[in-house]
Amino acid sequence: MDARLRRVNKEIADCKNDKQSSVTIDLVDESPFHLIGSFDGPEGTPYEGGRFQVDIVIPDNYPFQPVKMKFITKVYHPNVSSASGAICLDILKDAWSPVLTLKSTLISLQSLLCSPEPRDPQDAEVAKHYMTSKSSFEDTARYWTMIYAGGPGKEGLGKGAKGGPRDEIAMAGLDRAHVAQFEALGFDRAKVIDVLRRLNYRGANVANINDDRVVEELLK
Amino acid sequence: MSSDYEISDDENYSYEEEEEEDEMEVEDYDDGSASEIEVDGIGDDFKVPGGSERKVYEVDYMSLSQPDVEKIMATDVNYISGIFGVEPAVAAQLLRHMNWNKEKLTDKYMDNASQVSVAAGVDLPPREPTPPPPKASSSRQSSTGPTRTARRSVAETSKTSKSTKRVASPAAGVQSFVCPICFDDSQTETMALMCEHRFCSSCWKEYITSKVRTEAECTITCMAEDCNIVALDPFVKKALTDDMETWERYQELLVRQFVSCIPHLKFCPYPSCTNTVSCVSAATKSSLLTMVPIVACSIPTHVFCFGCPIDADHRPVICAVAKMWLQKCRDDSETANWIKSNTKECSKCQSTIEKNGGCNHMTCKKCKYEFCWVCMGPWSEHGTSWYSCNRYDEKASVDARDAQARSRASLERYLHYYNRWANHEQSAKLSMELYAKTEKKMEEMQITSELTWIQVQFMKKAVDVVFKCRMTLKWTYAMAYYLSLGNEKELFEDNQRDLERAVEELSELIEAPIDPETIMALRQKVTDKTVYVQKRNEIMLEDTAKGYLDGRWSWNATVDGL
Ligand SMILES: [Zn+2]
Ligand SMILES: [Zn+2]
Ligand SMILES: [Zn+2]
Ligand SMILES: [Zn+2]
Ligand SMILES: [Zn+2]
Ligand SMILES: [Zn+2]
Repeated sequence: MDARLRRVNKEIADCKNDKQSSVTIDLVDESPFHLIGSFDGPEGTPYEGGRFQVDIVIPDNYPFQPVKMKFITKVYHPNVSSASGAICLDILKDAWSPVLTLKSTLISLQSLLCSPEPRDPQDAEVAKHYMTSKSSFEDTARYWTMIYAGGPGKEGLGKGAKGGPRDEIAMAGLDRAHVAQFEALGFDRAKVIDVLRRLNYRGANVANINDDRVVEELLK
Repeated sequence: MSSDYEISDDENYSYEEEEEEDEMEVEDYDDGSASEIEVDGIGDDFKVPGGSERKVYEVDYMSLSQPDVEKIMATDVNYISGIFGVEPAVAAQLLRHMNWNKEKLTDKYMDNASQVSVAAGVDLPPREPTPPPPKASSSRQSSTGPTRTARRSVAETSKTSKSTKRVASPAAGVQSFVCPICFDDSQTETMALMCEHRFCSSCWKEYITSKVRTEAECTITCMAEDCNIVALDPFVKKALTDDMETWERYQELLVRQFVSCIPHLKFCPYPSCTNTVSCVSAATKSSLLTMVPIVACSIPTHVFCFGCPIDADHRPVICAVAKMWLQKCRDDSETANWIKSNTKECSKCQSTIEKNGGCNHMTCKKCKYEFCWVCMGPWSEHGTSWYSCNRYDEKASVDARDAQARSRASLERYLHYYNRWANHEQSAKLSMELYAKTEKKMEEMQITSELTWIQVQFMKKAVDVVFKCRMTLKWTYAMAYYLSLGNEKELFEDNQRDLERAVEELSELIEAPIDPETIMALRQKVTDKTVYVQKRNEIMLEDTAKGYLDGRWSWNATVDGL
């Protein structure tokens, strides 16, 4: 039998038999080379209570080349692209070793959620947010977990309504008062949110950005 | 060739010593091989006064075959093997690790042999839990720091490493070895490096094949996680068994690695060519400000620049200015397309890098430079000064505004040069068609006249010369764009105009229909014109080359290195 197939089948079977761990690996279709991995958000983090799905593609010369992984579930995290789910993690690149497995790699992703590395970001905007105000970042990450990963609602955040309309301001990790301030000038709310998010109009950073700069961006 | 070359072998490849080596080689190889571009058998008709001496716009160089380079490498390996008292394979890996700097290797090895050996992957780290020696070869270790390592160790790797240990003894011959990679328990052949991380032979073979063929990697570390032990050449050969193709590719990669470490060597950039060119006089960055080192490997059509990644003759403009111009053309035409494209040049060492997956954190394979795919800025800056790169790029938007504000005049100025540049490039491309047409014409001429095949070669020669001179002209426009206004520039443009006029006239002559009555006159005309065009081209190249040496050219933009 093809060594790659044998190895992947064994990895899938091992994962099924392990009832201890929250990590699961499922087939997308009949192919064992395109999979979906899932794991629970780590306890004591803003991702707690969420279930995160990862798209897994097994390359032709697996395990000699690293497996390709990206988040399907949207994650608010400095090392994960908030747009594409792309992940910046060394073992998915040059630190890959053929002895690593799908499961061990998923566990590494899980621990990546525990320990963000904002100095080596994948998503610069999210990383800025993290560096500017960790508590505001965590609120946003928690909100994303609730909206996208089925995490628990939290009072004061998104009015606790899981199925309800999304709170775009909370999604962007912004202050309601700030958004209202520029909305009052006649700009569209979505546009205001977009600009303030990009400018990292949060916490102590607000003092560094004058209103003219914001308006200039809004006019573009 | 190679035996002459060995004279310099025992010297170190560091810069200072190179100078002396230089002269030796210049004497040996000043055979004018660089100028053999004449079409065989008819060169005599077209001799331009000046003889076979090296022209001021030419550079001395020599072509080395892969075995030639391997011989040089072997000399270094034997030398190190001898003085360190280690196996040649170990010496080779130590040299590769130290980028073939024998002096530095000797110093470091004498200072602390064990540390160097561990870092080079030829020895196991000491057993005591002393802090591990800095792994200078790996940039990721230093950039990601201990957090990443910690993160990884959280992962389920203990299981796999345990299983490796468990099987280490059965593998010695007893029973039921389960390869920790393919999970196959029926494999009987196993292999392990000195670290005793044992895997089945077929996994080793696949792993090495993948490293060599997919990643073009010639430093092959153990498959176990975090194990730095390197598979030495005999191990690689044994693991590849009968796969000669991969073994040969591996050897080519070794030669490439060596060549890339030696400033006066460059690998021929033409696809599937394995020749190397040695060019001592163009080995320093500063030398490239006063010369354009156009060379060719032993295959005469493999013409390339020794000083930059341009795979063509870009005389008369120096590398740094040629690069600026090409960059400008790219930025001004299809910036967006360019950014979307999937390969880029490393902004540090210029090797081509392919994007792999969605992550924007790129590490250059060759020089280990870390940068951002989106903005091409150093990755370190994203960590500290936070200039953004995804979706929103302050710098890019400022540039865009600047671009809009740029005066119409400067755009028109650029277009003036660009259109002429593009026109010569286009015409030169069309000369392929012209070739076919000329062939037909030459057949016709043989039928309608008394001329022999050799005698009708003047047409082909004329097409060659037109092509070559259009290339010169093309680059003169890049040069003129950056030349400061003044007398010198005017003289430059006079030469340019004379050459251009001559080329267009010759071009017209070759494309005109043939009248059997006047064929002898045509032959004379074309031959004379060809000689004249060559002469104009000589003047153009000679004058610019002298201008560099005299420091006559001044630029209207900041040139890299000046
Ligand atoms: Zn195996
Ligand atoms: Zn090992
Ligand atoms: Zn070549
Ligand atoms: Zn060049
Ligand atoms: Zn590089
Ligand atoms: Zn960037």
